[in-house]
Amino acid sequence: MNEHFTEKESLELIGKMINSAKNNLQKGLGNVFLLWGYLVASISLVIFILLIILPGETSHYSFFLWSLMAIGAPVHIRMIKKMEQQQLVKTYIDRIMDFVWIAFTISIVTVIAGILITTMLVLPSFTEVEPGFEFLRWFPWTFVTPFMLCLYGFALFVSGKAYQFKPLVTGGIICWIATLVLLISFHNPHLLKIQELVLFISVIFGFIIPGHLLRKKENSHV
Amino acid sequence: MYKELDPLLHSQLRLAVMSILISTEEADFVFIRENTGATAGNLSVQLDKLKEAGYIEITKTFRGKIPRTICKKTPKGIEAFEKYVENLKGYIGVK
Repeated sequence: MNEHFTEKESLELIGKMINSAKNNLQKGLGNVFLLWGYLVASISLVIFILLIILPGETSHYSFFLWSLMAIGAPVHIRMIKKMEQQQLVKTYIDRIMDFVWIAFTISIVTVIAGILITTMLVLPSFTEVEPGFEFLRWFPWTFVTPFMLCLYGFALFVSGKAYQFKPLVTGGIICWIATLVLLISFHNPHLLKIQELVLFISVIFGFIIPGHLLRKKENSHV
Repeated sequence: MYKELDPLLHSQLRLAVMSILISTEEADFVFIRENTGATAGNLSVQLDKLKEAGYIEITKTFRGKIPRTICKKTPKGIEAFEKYVENLKGYIGVK
């Protein structure tokens, strides 16, 4: 590089270099979206099918399949470690996005932990459930999916806007619409099936499609 | 009145390095080399100059088994860069 340059060239250089780090997508981000996308999509689809084919209350045991989500955690940690090793630059956007997704995870864990405590401990131990109100034992769970989808929408929308990646923004909007659909379906006797189906569709648009497109974009940057 | 530009920053490669570091939390040597188009040898020399001036911090670590060099700006570096840009505005007539 030339040591002698004008003040105008100097400003141009600053602008060019600042832009070089902008929108720098972390390599491997697409895989993280695909991991959770395919995991949630498969579990919700299997539960949806089980809810249709299994008789009555027995079908509700299929919800225990959600515990399989735990297998995503060690894979996720390995992927993040690999990403950190490969990451050549860390921008402020990367750091803020890390916190957005950490806050997203903490919010979901908090809600699930709260509902677990109330349905497994508080309600059975301390509350006399009157006949006709037994639904209280499972009803709080029906709020998990709309809450989760609303948070998905939030995190996807923010990520999409921050990285200027439209498929994530679209995915976020679809998740918000899905939340609305679920919240106005509480009267429907098929609410549980609707929830699993809507979750399956939302995850395809919110995680799987953007995940594949992110991978394509990451590879085209190399 | 024109204020003198910091000679340490008024050099294309060092200014390019500082501009990258100003807009990032930290950047790897490879990233800086690729984006500035500098040779590894020249970049190392310029990074050392910026480090000696206290404008940047350099951390040597490992990526798996491969050694890596991570550069980060310091508060002194940010101050010098801001002053440089401010003085630059005087030259090109920006208020």
